[in-house]
Amino acid sequence: MREVQADIVIVGSGAGGGTVAKELAPLCADGVRIVVFEQGPKLKDEELTGREIEMASRLYFDSGGMLTHDRSMTLAWARAYGGSTTVYTGTSMVVPEHVLKKWDVPGLAWDDVRRRSEKALAENNVHLLEDELINENNRLFVAGCRALGYRVQQFPINVKGCHGAGVCNLGCPNGAKQGTNRVQLPLAERQGVQVVTNATVTSVAKRMCTVRVRSRKFGEPSAWEPGEYIVKARIIVVAGNAINSPALLFRSGLGEYLPALGRGITLHPALILAAQHDHPLTNFFGFPKSYYSDQFRDDQRFLLETCMYYPFTTAKNLNGFGEEHEAMMRHLQFQQQILVLALDEPLETNRVEIGHHGEPVVRYRLAHTVLDSLHRAMIEAARIFFAAGASRVHVPAAETFFVKREDQDRLEALVPRANVRPGGISISSAHLMGGCRMGADEKTSVTDAWGQVHGFPWLFIADSSLFPRCSEVNPYVTVMALADRVAERVRERFKELGS
Amino acid sequence: MRYLSQERARFLLVVAGRIVPAIAGMEAEGVSRFFGIIDAALGDRPAPVRRQLGAFLGLIRWLPVLRWGASFDRIGARRQDRFLRWLQRTRLRLLRQGFWALKTIVFMGYYGQPELWPLFGYEPRQDGNEALHA
Repeated sequence: MREVQADIVIVGSGAGGGTVAKELAPLCADGVRIVVFEQGPKLKDEELTGREIEMASRLYFDSGGMLTHDRSMTLAWARAYGGSTTVYTGTSMVVPEHVLKKWDVPGLAWDDVRRRSEKALAENNVHLLEDELINENNRLFVAGCRALGYRVQQFPINVKGCHGAGVCNLGCPNGAKQGTNRVQLPLAERQGVQVVTNATVTSVAKRMCTVRVRSRKFGEPSAWEPGEYIVKARIIVVAGNAINSPALLFRSGLGEYLPALGRGITLHPALILAAQHDHPLTNFFGFPKSYYSDQFRDDQRFLLETCMYYPFTTAKNLNGFGEEHEAMMRHLQFQQQILVLALDEPLETNRVEIGHHGEPVVRYRLAHTVLDSLHRAMIEAARIFFAAGASRVHVPAAETFFVKREDQDRLEALVPRANVRPGGISISSAHLMGGCRMGADEKTSVTDAWGQVHGFPWLFIADSSLFPRCSEVNPYVTVMALADRVAERVRERFKELGS
Repeated sequence: MRYLSQERARFLLVVAGRIVPAIAGMEAEGVSRFFGIIDAALGDRPAPVRRQLGAFLGLIRWLPVLRWGASFDRIGARRQDRFLRWLQRTRLRLLRQGFWALKTIVFMGYYGQPELWPLFGYEPRQDGNEALHA
């Protein structure tokens, strides 16, 4: 096992790790050695093909289909240079003040998070897409919401030079999305931070970690030779995401010191809904996700967003099979799609553990309240589809494959709550939160309000695992804001810890 | 196929033809791509998941014997669909989830083929914005 000396190790290169790397990079000028370990590859530009299966297997953990322990949900997150910022849509939201109040973390003020979020928005070229670049799939959502009197707003997004390839979740082939792969990591590398791809951190301990570097048949070669390494460092910042970070701490034997480790995860359980219009739409051309509605956020606990997915993902999310299913798939151009996100509560029993080989295991039970939200969301989304002019709507929990336009007044009867059952409909998550939550009490939280792990002054967390509850918005900007705080504390602590 | 025996693969194709009817009439190249995608996906999954798929295919094959006295591949298309619909809606969660997983694999093998995308009207372009006002 080779030994390498560093000063600061960052585990993960996504919104959290990338931000910490960029913020700490100026230290390199003073001779500080900073290394970022990223589990996934750095794909070459020509390797971003937009081909669904190929990109899923190269960019996502378990091809984006990791199952929860009870197999009722799939979880999607990327492992790549840039982490999940490589595959998100780039919708850039500041966490609302009421969410921070619910988080109730002593020492974490909304004004501070907002200020740091705005810094991230400016860095990432966040703006509203020009009206002429909004496609029909998005326009119809707005029209449907407005016809029903529902609130609808445009997403600020972080693109630069977007050509509207529409495959944001498969890695942008035009390099337009301003993820950490385009902004923070290159900036950090120019100042001397080393990013090692294809590198899995297998454990952390006081002032050291063990790393396994592998070779892959695709992507840029890793900066380090394949093999096993011991890396010594004064500070370790873990930013592996809400699944990997708790799992790494468990693998490292820290579970016995941290009773809240892995607990209280939230996932924004999501459904993709589809409707058919009588004419072809511009749906997979252009930027896919431009609008959302939070009309039902407070009382029914769900959000609605525009979306447009690829053939396999779409097929998987339509309930049923056979001729009807195939007929709908043969008319993808006629489809309008809406993504539903349930706002879930952090139940203690919903948690990350590790399996026999140290692999992450996610125990997540879909609470009745979440299933209630998803049921209401299906009905409201169907209303929006019809109000936008759809001729028929596929509601996964309906008694029939399609609900026809003439039956729209009978939605409540045609979509029984009893049909919203785990394992019966496709439920997925790409917003993984909690597991190393912030707080003051060591019994109920893992880190303090600055991401330092309780009792371990050399160990920090800087990702969405810090969230004590769900963010109620797309989480990456909040991750960057919190990572910015973590970096500030690391700079101070670095001096205190000495060499 | 590295992860399914020839016999299991043949049976998977029978079931797949009920899930996506077009698979039943797919030419040899398409079938080869179908199995290529599924094989690669299974290779990325843990061994227990691969074994569970094999076991579930066995269950689909033989469960119809209890109802119709014949295996799935011998009961005719109408009964096959009826049986699969039962699997999809059964109160037995494990069976329901198993069928969901099987459908997912079949959809991946078929809809994951870029060569077939024009059939579905899915023809993405890197300059998609140009098509917005075409």
